[in-house]
Amino acid sequence: MIRLQNIEKVYRTDTVETLALNSISLNVAKGEFLSIMGPSGCGKSTLLNIMGLLDAPTRGEVRIADSTPGYLSDKQLAHFRNKKIGFIFQSYHLINDLQVLDNVELPLLYRKSTARERKALATAALGKVGLSNRIKHFPSQLSGGQKQRVAIARAIVGQPEIILADEPTGNLDSAMGNEVMDILLHLNRQEGTTIVMVTHDEQIARKTHRLVRLFDGAQVQ
Amino acid sequence: MLKHLFKLIWNKKKQHFLLMVEILFSFLIMFAVFTLAVYNYKNYQRPMGFDHENVWALSYYDKDRSGADKDSLALFYEMVKRTISHAPEVAAVSFVSNNSPFTMSMNNSVITRNNKTAQVDHFSADDDYVGVLKPVLLKGRWYGRADDGAALEPIVVNRSFETMFFPGEDPVGKTIKVGDHDARIVGVVQDMKDKGDYKPLGPGLYQRTTRSSYSWLSRMLIRIKPGAGANFEGRLYKQVAGILQDATVEIEHLDEKRVVKNNITLIPLIVFGVIAGFLILNVSLGLFGVLWYTISKRKAEIGLRRAVGATGAGISRQVVSETLVLATISLVVGLFFAVQFPLLNVFFMEESVYYTAILLALLFIYALVVVCAFYPGRQAAGIYPAVALHED
Ligand SMILES: Nc1ncnc2c1ncn2[C@@H]1O[C@H](COP(=O)(O)OP(=O)(O)OP(=O)(O)O)[C@@H](O)[C@H]1O
Ligand SMILES: [Mg+2]
Repeated sequence: MIRLQNIEKVYRTDTVETLALNSISLNVAKGEFLSIMGPSGCGKSTLLNIMGLLDAPTRGEVRIADSTPGYLSDKQLAHFRNKKIGFIFQSYHLINDLQVLDNVELPLLYRKSTARERKALATAALGKVGLSNRIKHFPSQLSGGQKQRVAIARAIVGQPEIILADEPTGNLDSAMGNEVMDILLHLNRQEGTTIVMVTHDEQIARKTHRLVRLFDGAQVQ
Repeated sequence: MLKHLFKLIWNKKKQHFLLMVEILFSFLIMFAVFTLAVYNYKNYQRPMGFDHENVWALSYYDKDRSGADKDSLALFYEMVKRTISHAPEVAAVSFVSNNSPFTMSMNNSVITRNNKTAQVDHFSADDDYVGVLKPVLLKGRWYGRADDGAALEPIVVNRSFETMFFPGEDPVGKTIKVGDHDARIVGVVQDMKDKGDYKPLGPGLYQRTTRSSYSWLSRMLIRIKPGAGANFEGRLYKQVAGILQDATVEIEHLDEKRVVKNNITLIPLIVFGVIAGFLILNVSLGLFGVLWYTISKRKAEIGLRRAVGATGAGISRQVVSETLVLATISLVVGLFFAVQFPLLNVFFMEESVYYTAILLALLFIYALVVVCAFYPGRQAAGIYPAVALHED
C-alpha cells in the first residue's frame, strides 16, 4: 500500500540544515496497522507528512496506492489526499468556527457530493465514534477526547484506504486513549483500512501489528 | 461550498462585525459619490442648447431710470445698440434681462396649466437674441417684427416647458397665463444650460422686450466675430462708457463666466471625491490588513483543508469567496438604505440616477474586495500544508 525507498528529508532554514529523515525504507501492506515510535524530533511527523503527500521528500521514492506522487500536479495531489487518505492530528486541527457536523463534512466539500449526502455520511461517521449527540456543538464545547473523536470521524467520513494518525492519543488520558485506540482497531479490522500511527505509548503500540522505531531520522527497528 | 463559507462567516460574525460595518459605510459613501457623479455627468452629457463662444456680456449700471420718459429712453438705448452693432467686429447684439447665461441672477414664477404647476424661469430678450446665443429652434419661430401690435404678448418656451405643460400637444399658437396676463407661444427652443454644464434642465420662457423695458434693462449680449480681441474690447468699453456717461460699464466673456460657474459645481464635488477617496483607501488598507492577518492566524485551518483535499488554487478562491460573502452581507444592508432614496424620492433626482449609482457602488465594492483579497489569497495558496500544520 505504502512503499518508501531511501527517503531523505532535509529542512533548510537560513542558518541551519536539519536532516529530519535519513534513508528510510519502509513498506506498509494493505490492511496493516503500523505504529511508529521514537523520541521527540526524530522525524515521525515528517515521515507521516511524506506518506500523506503533504510534503515531498528531498530524495527517495514514494509509492502510495500504486501511484507515484512525484509526478502528480497540485490538483491531482489534492484529489488523491481527498480520496485515499484520512489524517488524524495530535492537536485535532478542528475548525473552531464550525459545528461538529460541518467539521466532519469538510473532506466531502472537496469532492462531488450533495448537501444531503454529506450530512448523511457525516452523521454516520459521528455515530461510529459515538458522538451522535454532539452534532451541533462547537469544538470549544467538547472535551479533548471528544475533539479527537470528531477528528477521527472527519478522517473516516470519506472512506479512505489509508489513515495516518499523528499521536492520536497523545493529549488524552489512558481511558480516553484506549477508547480512541478501540475505534482505530475496529476500523482496521472491520473496514480493512490501512493505518499508520505515531505514538509515544508502548501499551498502545503493542496493540498494532508492527512497530517501527525511529532515532534521529533513521530507522532503528 | 458557498453555504459552507456562509456558515463560516456567520459563526465568525462578531470578529467580522467591524469589517462589515466598514464595508457598509464604504458602500454608502460610494453610493453618494456615484449618485453625484452620475447626476452631474448626465447633465453634462446634455447639449448646451446655445452657443456661448465669442459672446460678451456688457452690463451698464447707471442712475435710476424709472422716472424717465419711456420714449426718449427707448430712442436713446436703441441708438446705443445701433452704434455697437455698427462696429465691423460685432455680429449681433441683444438686450437681455440680468439672468443671462452663467450669472447668479434668477427670475422665476409659478405657472399653472391643466392642473400642472411648476416654477418657470423667465428670461427677457429682444428679437436679436437668436443671432447672439443661437438657441436651437425646435418648433415655430423666435418672436420678431411680425409680433408688433399683436393682442397677446408673444413668448418662446423651451422643451422642458413643452413637456411639462403641453404633453402630447403642439404648444405653438396656444395661450398660457404668465403672471397676470395671457401670452401666446410662438416657438419652442431646446433647453439651454445657461446655469452651467452640470445643471439640470428646467422649464423656461422667453419674453420679448418692449419699449418700456429700457427703464430696467441693464445688460446686452454681444456676439463678436471670431478674431476680434482685447484691442476691440478696449475700444468698445471706451465707446460705451462715453455714451453712457454716468454708468459703470463692465464687459465679461461668456466662456470665462462658464468656467467660473462650472467650478462652483465642480470644486465641492472634487473635494468630496478626494475625501471619499481617502476614506476608501483607508478601508481597503484595513480590509487588506485584516485579511493578511487572518491568513497568518488561520494557517492551521489552511493546512488542514489542504490535507483533506483542497488545492492551492482552491484555498485562494476560498479567501476571495469568503471576503465576497462578507461583503455581500454588508451590501444587502447597504442596499436596504440605498433604495430608500429612489423609493422616497429624497432629492428629486431621476430614479435612474440612483439605480445607476447603486449598481456602480456595488461593482466598485466587489472589485475593491476582490483586489484586497487577491494577494492574501495568493499568499494562503502558497502555504505548504506540512508547514501550516506544524505551526499551531
Ligand atoms: N518545517 C520545518 N522546518 C525546519 N525544520 C523542521 C521543520 N519541520 C520539522 N523540522 C525539524 O525536523 C526534525 C523532525 O521533526 P518532526 O516534526 O518530524 O519530529 P517528530 O518526531 O514528529 O517530533 P515530536 O514527537 O516532537 O512531534 C526536527 O528536528 C524539527 O526541528
Ligand atoms: Mg510530531
